[in-house]
Formats: sequence, structure tokens, C-alpha cells
Amino acid sequence: MIDPPQMTEDEFRRLAEFLYRRTGMVFTESKRYYVERRVWERIDATSSSSFSIYFAYLRSEVRDEVEQLINAFTVNETYFYREDHQLACLTTDLLRERVATKRPGDPIRIWSAPCSTGEEPYSIAIWLLENWKDVDNYDIEIVGSDIDTRVLEAATEGIFGKRALMRLSSEVIARYFHELDDERWQILDDLRQSVRFSRVNLVETKETRPQGRFDVIFCRNVLIYFDDESRRVAAENLYENLLPGGYICLGHTESMSRISPLFEICRYSEAIVYRRPEELRRAR
Amino acid sequence: MPLVRNTTPMAEPHAPDERKPVELLATGSDEERWIAARNAAETPEALSLLTRALSVERVPRVREAMFTALAKIATPESASVALPYLRSEDAGLRTQALDALRAMPASAAEHLSGLLDDSDPDVRLLACEIARALPTDDASRVLGELLESETNSNVCSAAIEVLAETGDAASLPILARCAARFSDDPFLAFAVKTASGRIGSSER
Amino acid sequence: MPDNSTRRVLIIDDAALVRAYYRAALEAHGFAVGEALNGLEGLEKLLLEPFDLVIADINMPQMDGITFLQMLRSKELPVSSVPVLVTSTEAGPHDMAAARGAGANYYLVKPIKQETLAEYAAIFCGRR
Repeated sequence: MIDPPQMTEDEFRRLAEFLYRRTGMVFTESKRYYVERRVWERIDATSSSSFSIYFAYLRSEVRDEVEQLINAFTVNETYFYREDHQLACLTTDLLRERVATKRPGDPIRIWSAPCSTGEEPYSIAIWLLENWKDVDNYDIEIVGSDIDTRVLEAATEGIFGKRALMRLSSEVIARYFHELDDERWQILDDLRQSVRFSRVNLVETKETRPQGRFDVIFCRNVLIYFDDESRRVAAENLYENLLPGGYICLGHTESMSRISPLFEICRYSEAIVYRRPEELRRAR
Repeated sequence: MPLVRNTTPMAEPHAPDERKPVELLATGSDEERWIAARNAAETPEALSLLTRALSVERVPRVREAMFTALAKIATPESASVALPYLRSEDAGLRTQALDALRAMPASAAEHLSGLLDDSDPDVRLLACEIARALPTDDASRVLGELLESETNSNVCSAAIEVLAETGDAASLPILARCAARFSDDPFLAFAVKTASGRIGSSER
Repeated sequence: MPDNSTRRVLIIDDAALVRAYYRAALEAHGFAVGEALNGLEGLEKLLLEPFDLVIADINMPQMDGITFLQMLRSKELPVSSVPVLVTSTEAGPHDMAAARGAGANYYLVKPIKQETLAEYAAIFCGRR
């Protein structure tokens, strides 16, 4: 296979600066090789005759080219217990804060949006059942939403392959799945019926509003790819869907600094999470 | 199981407020005004409503929602409602106005030549950022034109910052002439050198 | 014992060329440099790692320099007490007063010479 043409240092810097501004992701010299390869794939895929032409196309946000380019650098595979440091943060820190003002039996609502084929909302459910000492004290409602009805159908069905389960111990698998055949496991009915799935476009307030208000929202790896206007509207929608003091978690390469100033920044054990401010109690 | 069944009816979200946006924006709580601002884009008379409401709103989050409404409307008229706030003494308000204009680039572009020609250098400076959202060739052309006659070095620096991203071969002599005009400004010399380097090798 | 006296400076400015210019000046004088593109990113960086000095511009997307200062000074110690040197194209008394009122330690008007920046960085890194 022929080596792809090399990017000049200045072309790389131009691209890196654009991507940093646009997404917050930093591409240093050490990542140049991977970036180059991916850029040349995209130049080919978009039938651009040069880097300059491709860069103009990338800048224009005409299609989802930023997403196409960035997707190659982030691990896209969805599997159970992906980014488990956020799940740990959920039980160690976020829920602890949330229940400080709740009574036993009160609801806790958690939203996974986008939920894709269901790994994330089911992971949350399993994680809570396995790891949260207070799990029996509250009515926990988990909602998974996505814009794509096909992935929602798959999520509702709850059938997963080996790779999706690779982070789960055999005990956990045995507790929450039944084996269909050599290659496939299905979430047990009890658990499948404990996650609500809905079709939602995060940019459409008419679709997000009816989902109600949540204590915690997981919104990973989608906001950063919206255009400016959609990012603002989606951020406002998510803010509206949060209870005061509620939390929102983004993908680990994402930052609200490229999305919206609405949320407070919270630092918890090596992770950054965002919060809708508590309501100020004011005498009227 | 502590997990709620998905067959359980979901709690009804709050019924939408029946009061009109114009009323809510005038007399509602921060949250009510925020929701009303979010809904404003769909109301008739949205622009006059938002123009008036923006002029008296002090809570940043509510103002932000008003600017988002303007960006959703996305017309040269809605952009013009945001424009005066570029001149505000309040840095937060300037940022909000500029972010709103960035979110409606085609509408903002209609006003760009006026902004780049403004008598206030601070406005011209912010306008360079609006130019960034133009298609690459247009951005380079418009900012190249600015550079040829701009007298304020900070405005030049702002234009050069964008040209480092969008510039082409035609930008190079313009950059060089600018550096020569401002030979006393150390940052500008650095900026021209760096931007020229970014541009120079991209003509393949 | 290793000498851990490398001062760390966080540059918050949405212009890549400005950040590069300041970085060159500061690194030449032995400072370690971090970067952020707006006030929000600046706050995130400050929550994740310690810095001895912040150089912050005023006009930035999402969160301007004045709002950044107000948010920073309302955080907990020690983060909230980091010295902040504000840079701006505005030389008017209103902007200087706004910066001071928000908790800036000093105010420099752009364009800033590299030597000037390094000089002030050394002064403010010495004071805590």
C-alpha cells in the first residue's frame, strides 16, 4: 500500500487549530501520523483534490464532516460499562448529592440520550443494582432516547454480542442476561421492562420537553457535532430537562466550553461533570 | 425491583403556561422569563417582543435564551436586533451578541460590510470574528480588503488571526504590506509571519 | 530533591496567534504554559491542575474575561486566589474598572511586547 502524501507541518497546525477551536480536542505532534492518515482518507472520500479544498469543506459545516473526521479518533464502539469512571462518579458523588434532599421512596430519574442500541441505559441500571448501596431506597426511572428508531428497536429487544459484554464479569452476565446462543445474550425481561425508550431529537424542544426533568443526564458524544445554533438549542433543552442541582455528563473528549455557558462546572475525582445551578431561594 | 417499570405511566410534565410570552417576559420569574424567551421564536411579533425584552433583561441566562431565539429565527432582521449589543460596555453582553451572530452566519453576513466599516475599532475587531463564519474564499477576500486600509493594529491582528485559517496565496502580499505599515507592533509582525507560514505551504 | 520551582502560567485567549506569541515569550523565560480558548475552558483547566498565574483576555466566546474572573473568585481556595493579569484591546477607564472590580490583579493593554509580558509574569508569579 502506498503511503499517503504527508501533510506539511503548517497544514497540520492549521487543521489542529481549527479542531481545537471547534471541539476542544488537542492534537499534538505526537498524534500527527494518525491525523494525517485519517485526513487523507477523508480527502479521498470527499473527492477533494487537495488539503486546501478539503479544509474549506471541513470549515463550511455543510455536512457532518467534522463528525466524520473526529469519529476516527474517538473510540466509537459502544459496550457495557464504557467510561465506567463516570458510572463510578454517578454512585460515589452525583447521586449522593441528589439524594441529600430526597426522602426514601422519592423518584430518581436518569436520562441516557443518545442511548443508541441500549448499552448505556442498561449499564446504568446494572451498575446501580450492583454498586449503589441506596438503590432500594428510591424509585429509579431510567430513560433511554435516540433520534434513530432502528437503534431504539434493538435497544428494546436487548440482545447483545460478546464484544458488547466484554467488560462485564461472568457473574454480572449471569445475573442480568440469559444466553440465547453462543454469540448472543439477552437482557432479562425484568430489567428490559425497567428502562423506558423513546424517540427524541435533542434539538427539538417539542420532543425533549415531554421527557420530564431528570436528576442526571448522560449526553455523550453528540452535542459537539451539532452546528452552533443546534448546540445552543440542545444545551437549553437539556438544561430545561434537568432538575435544579441536576447533573449532565458529556463524552470524555467533550467540554461545555465549546457548547454553552449555562452549566456550572463540577470537578469530581479526575472527571469534570456539569450541573444546572440550584434554585436560589429568594423572599419575594 | 427499585427500578421503575416502563409500563408505569410517566409523570405528566408541567402543563404549559397559558399566559402569553409578552406577559411572562414582563412579569414572570427568572425561570418563567427564560421559558418564555425560549418559546419566543415561534410567536408572532417575535422580533419586536425580543427587541423590547432584551433591552430590559438583566439576567444573563435569560438574555442568552433571547439571543438563541434570534439565532433560531435567523434572518437579517433578527441579526440586526443583536448588532447593537456588540457595542455594549458589558463584556458579557458583547460575547452573547457575537455568539448569537456566529450561530446565524448567513444572516450576520448581510451586515458584515457595514460592521467592518464601522467607525468604532472595537466593532470592526469583533466583525473579523463574524467573517470567520463565511465560506473560506469570502472570508479571505473580505478580510484582505480590510487589511489594506485598516489603521488600528488590534483590528489588523484580529483579521490576521482569521486569515491564518482561511487565507490563500492572494493574502500573502496583503499580509506583507500590513506588516510593513505596522513595523513598530511586535505582535503584528509575529502574527503576519505565522499566518503567512500557515498559508504559504497550503497551495497544493 | 528536584527543584520544583517552574512557574505555570495559564493563557486564556481565543486567538491562536496570541496564545502562540505569549507561549513563546513565557517559555523562553522558563515558564510552563497551559492554554484555554475561553473563560469556561480556563475554569476547567484551573480546576484540574494548579497554575501560578492566569493571563486572560476579555473578549472571548461562551464566557468573557470579566465573567471568568467573577466565577473564579467565587470558587474555593486555593483556585480562587490565583493572580489574574487581564489583557484587553480596550484602554478605557470603564474596562479597567470592570476588571479590577471583578478581581483582576493587573491590566495590560494590547498589543503587549513579549518582554513586558515576561516581566509581569515574573512579578505576579512571585506574589501569592
